Amino acid sequence: MQGSLVDHTSLLLLGAGLILWFWGSWPLLENRSYLSKLHALSVADTLGSALMLLGLLLRIPGQWPLLTLALLGLIVWNTIFGYVLAACSLPARDRTPVEEQR
Amino acid sequence: MRRLLPLLLSIAFRLALWCLLTSDLSWLNLLIGLVIALLLPRARSRPMPLGALLLATARSLLAIPQAYLEALRLIFAPAVVEIEASEPATDRALPLLVFLDVFRITLTPFTIVLGLEDDGRRYRIHSLMPAPKQDGSRL
Amino acid sequence: MTVLLWGMVLALLIPIAVACRPTNVWHRLAAFSSVSSKVALIILVVSVVRDDWMLGLVGVIVLSAGNAGLLLLANLLREVEQ
Repeated sequence: MQGSLVDHTSLLLLGAGLILWFWGSWPLLENRSYLSKLHALSVADTLGSALMLLGLLLRIPGQWPLLTLALLGLIVWNTIFGYVLAACSLPARDRTPVEEQR
Repeated sequence: MRRLLPLLLSIAFRLALWCLLTSDLSWLNLLIGLVIALLLPRARSRPMPLGALLLATARSLLAIPQAYLEALRLIFAPAVVEIEASEPATDRALPLLVFLDVFRITLTPFTIVLGLEDDGRRYRIHSLMPAPKQDGSRL
Repeated sequence: MTVLLWGMVLALLIPIAVACRPTNVWHRLAAFSSVSSKVALIILVVSVVRDDWMLGLVGVIVLSAGNAGLLLLANLLREVEQ
């Protein structure tokens, strides 16, 4: 009984993560501003993947040290990468009107 | 003591990462991890205010559930507006504190740090908020 | 579990399609970062489905190494563009 409860919770977490993935990746296909795409990607890749990792953690509790490391690495790396992408693209965005005038 | 504390903290952090990586708590493995933690090059240690560090860490950890709440609000929002804002930086003397601040702000889906402005005293923030329902002039 | 895996692969197709389209290089970079973390998660789920932790180890290593290369590339691009 308890095993099936854990299974269902983990499936729920995995499904929620998948929904966040789709919601956050869809704006990539649309014509929206670059930064709003980055906001959506942070939802999808950081938060959705963290939910999925939690679901996997419930499924294989024996491997918790490595999964915790993966969770930590995922959240920190993705967040900092979002910041770096936003910060580095800034001069490019400021310069685009000049290029269009040419 | 003030110089020893950051050293101990960084070594403990590296040892914890080593233990997570190898998932093995035998004495030999702990010894190897300790040697590696000591041998890895480290940034110039500076006297570090422990209270501020703990506060920033706690705020970063609190940002994680808050990020999920904001994600839900963003998903169910009918329309969004984009704003550029800025927030005063707490302390720019310590790179670690700045890192934790940037991490905390960027983790939440509403806001992304674009960089430091005003000579490093303020963060430049791009934020994506659900549009206010009644009055649109409240930007 | 199999349905979930198919869903994940479908979600993976979105950033791949974006990266194949002719678009701005920054959009492409964001799409590639998305591909990287999605593939790592798919590796982990496959390892659970097949009950083979060796695969999962690869996923964990990919996740904890992160996209450090892409990070460097972003910095390099900014320098080149200036």
